[in-house]
Amino acid sequence: MNAVDATDRAATQEEVEAPSLLTIILDTNPHAWALLADSLPLSKAVANLLVFINAHLAINYANRVAVVVSHSERAEWLYPTPADATLEQAHSNGDGENGNRAGTGGAVQPPDDANKYRPFAQLEYAIMTNLQRLMCTTTPAAISSAPSTMLAGALTRALAYISKQSASTNPTTTATTHFNYSDPSSVAGGNSLNPSDDTTTTSRSNQRLTTRILIVSVSGDLAETYIELMNAIFACQRLSIPIDVLKLAGDPTFLQQAADTTNGIYLSLSNPLARAGMLQYLMFAFLPDAAARERLVMPGEGEGVDFRAACFCHKRVVDIGFVCSICLSIFCEPLADGTCLLCGSHLSMANYGQKPVVVARPKKKGKKKRVVDGGVETPGSGRETPAPG
Amino acid sequence: MASDQEYDDQSDEEEAGVRDGRRRTMASRPKDRGQARWEEAANRNWELQEGADGSIEGVLGGLEEASKRKRLLKDTTPLQRGIIRHTLLVFDLSSAMNEKDLRPTRHLLTINYTIMFVREFFEQNPISQLGILGMREGLAVRVSDMSGNPNDHITALKLLRATEPKGNPSLQNALDMARAALYHTPSHGTREVVIVLGALLSSDPGDIHDTIKACIRDRIRVRIIGLAARMHICAEICRKTNGGDESYYSVAVDEVDYRQQLMSITTPPVLRATDTKAQKQNQAALLMMGFPSRIVEEKPTLCACHGNLTRGGYLCSRCKAKVCNLPATCPTCDLTLILSTHLARSYHHLFPLRNWVEVSWSRARQKGSTQCFGCLSSFPVIPAQYDGVEHGRWAVRNKRAEGASESSRYECETCGSHFCIDCDVTCHEVLHNCPGCQSRGHVGGGEGVVDGG
Repeated sequence: MNAVDATDRAATQEEVEAPSLLTIILDTNPHAWALLADSLPLSKAVANLLVFINAHLAINYANRVAVVVSHSERAEWLYPTPADATLEQAHSNGDGENGNRAGTGGAVQPPDDANKYRPFAQLEYAIMTNLQRLMCTTTPAAISSAPSTMLAGALTRALAYISKQSASTNPTTTATTHFNYSDPSSVAGGNSLNPSDDTTTTSRSNQRLTTRILIVSVSGDLAETYIELMNAIFACQRLSIPIDVLKLAGDPTFLQQAADTTNGIYLSLSNPLARAGMLQYLMFAFLPDAAARERLVMPGEGEGVDFRAACFCHKRVVDIGFVCSICLSIFCEPLADGTCLLCGSHLSMANYGQKPVVVARPKKKGKKKRVVDGGVETPGSGRETPAPG
Repeated sequence: MASDQEYDDQSDEEEAGVRDGRRRTMASRPKDRGQARWEEAANRNWELQEGADGSIEGVLGGLEEASKRKRLLKDTTPLQRGIIRHTLLVFDLSSAMNEKDLRPTRHLLTINYTIMFVREFFEQNPISQLGILGMREGLAVRVSDMSGNPNDHITALKLLRATEPKGNPSLQNALDMARAALYHTPSHGTREVVIVLGALLSSDPGDIHDTIKACIRDRIRVRIIGLAARMHICAEICRKTNGGDESYYSVAVDEVDYRQQLMSITTPPVLRATDTKAQKQNQAALLMMGFPSRIVEEKPTLCACHGNLTRGGYLCSRCKAKVCNLPATCPTCDLTLILSTHLARSYHHLFPLRNWVEVSWSRARQKGSTQCFGCLSSFPVIPAQYDGVEHGRWAVRNKRAEGASESSRYECETCGSHFCIDCDVTCHEVLHNCPGCQSRGHVGGGEGVVDGG
């Protein structure tokens, strides 16, 4: 049929871009935002974020967005609005009929404005309402006694949502990079044996949902939930979900490793001047999706990443650590009594290079002179080097 | 006989119950026997019950959920496991592998599955080492050496596709070669051998029992996956080297089962407390490891591992030699170099996520959950209850399937949140975190996160 009127119908199929789901995890740790109040208050940051979300939705009509907030003692959904939240709203407002009727994905009706694009208005209203409700229901006890923020929880909820959305939009894929849980014979990384096969099928199948996560973070210490956070990061790596990080304040700790492991972008805005331009950073660095990123020079490529670990005993950063082979905990110096601090098992200690291993000297005949490169003899070859101390 | 009585009672029970392993041989089975194990697993399409409106949708959904959950329900008590593993994979390259009962042939299917296995193995156990041997024409051949780099093995396996299997396998030669390869491995790691045997014989040059005794002495644990039928010698090898545990020898029933068994090897093996002799030889040690950072240089320099000019890499923490990728052993000073993320990959084996339980209608009514906590998808509506009797469309699907929840809800016992089946599978297989436990910190106690999540 194509030969009749010489149109190539296959080509038009490929011009449609794949829909993309952007999940934003907003860290609303009140302590940290209070410190930033003079340069970038939370309201301004949320406003910037809303403009960014509108831009993402505008690029492709099929693009979607989800927002999770990571508060001091809980992780909640801002968008799509969870069902129990809307029930509360309906009861408190009184006009359950045409007011705030909602289900998942929220048909939360914003006040009528004829000139505002309806999806943008709806999203903004839902996010602002839910954020206000979150702040109103925060108790002083929660802020004072909880750890900094529940980032691991927010990531976990986001990932559960993402995998459900991916599974429902890609029902027939087998050789995909997304893991198909219903099929007992599928394996992560795709069923095909050649890993490069997966990328070619990805670019050609335009109906697949591509996903990515953006974390806007202001808190420092995340060491409490280290294991859970690393589990979530490895899950993202397995599902090929890039994690982008925009750090407004606080130590990089694990988020830089997260961005590096999952091929995301890590940006840190350390001075007030940079923070004032938050929207510009968002638009330039985080708006392009995975396909566009291959053709752009992304920020943060030329820098090294600090992968050093923190020891479990003093929380010092170590270059060379001592690892228990049972529980894999890292210590900064050889243990005094040979007992692991975490698992309590008795560990045998080696001498750790204090006495280097030396080849035994041959007794008979002439000495074997060891010649190194330019004919320079190593001094005292064949004799043991003196042990330190 | 008393056991006969018990057996007759059992035959009155409904099907799909889990038996407790009492199996009778063919000769002593009474006439009105209960079911054989293969009969339990068979699919009975004619016994599906229809719902009140004549549809079998509810029952089919239940069967689907039950099959998804079957893979999840394993023991999740945190046990001590051997994280640093030295594993040798032994293939059967004898003429029995040319059989076409597993498509396309046993040989090709084994190689395909092994390539997937190698990738998954290094993902789950990044600081471990793997080697591959083969049994061909009565000899043991080396396919690839012990190394921590998956690409070495995958290249060797792809070359193996071209060779034709022939001859007879020899278990003794394979075990001897495996012992030699594992001889120099340090004592704090595990020493495992996995044999895939398709033939029903083993042609050995000497007494295999001596080899078995030597394996026990060297603390080698052997695991065998059979492709044809159970063999007594295989069961004996596995039982003796694993201290009497019979579960390390299994025979694959079909392709799916074969693959599941192969993939289950990627989970680190449990260290047994009863193995006092091994404990005396002291498996636990404090290892010195380096944690380098990645550097990016302006001008390319030589790397110490290959001798290539590269612009980036990792510097050894002790001697500052540059290596290309991790995990690696520094070629200059022999220090193990890893990233902390490699260690973190194994944490979910040591602290597994507890299984979630099925939720009955009464419990669902108590909690009033309408949405899955993880993915916000809606649950079936809780039916109205009058006089203790369930009404409504969903009430009649009471016998859905073993393992599926009647209300499609699954509850985490620690935090009490309800999840759907897909979130159950995701969280236990990929995430290893419970969203509910992670999203609710303790307030006022000073303790941040509920443990075990």
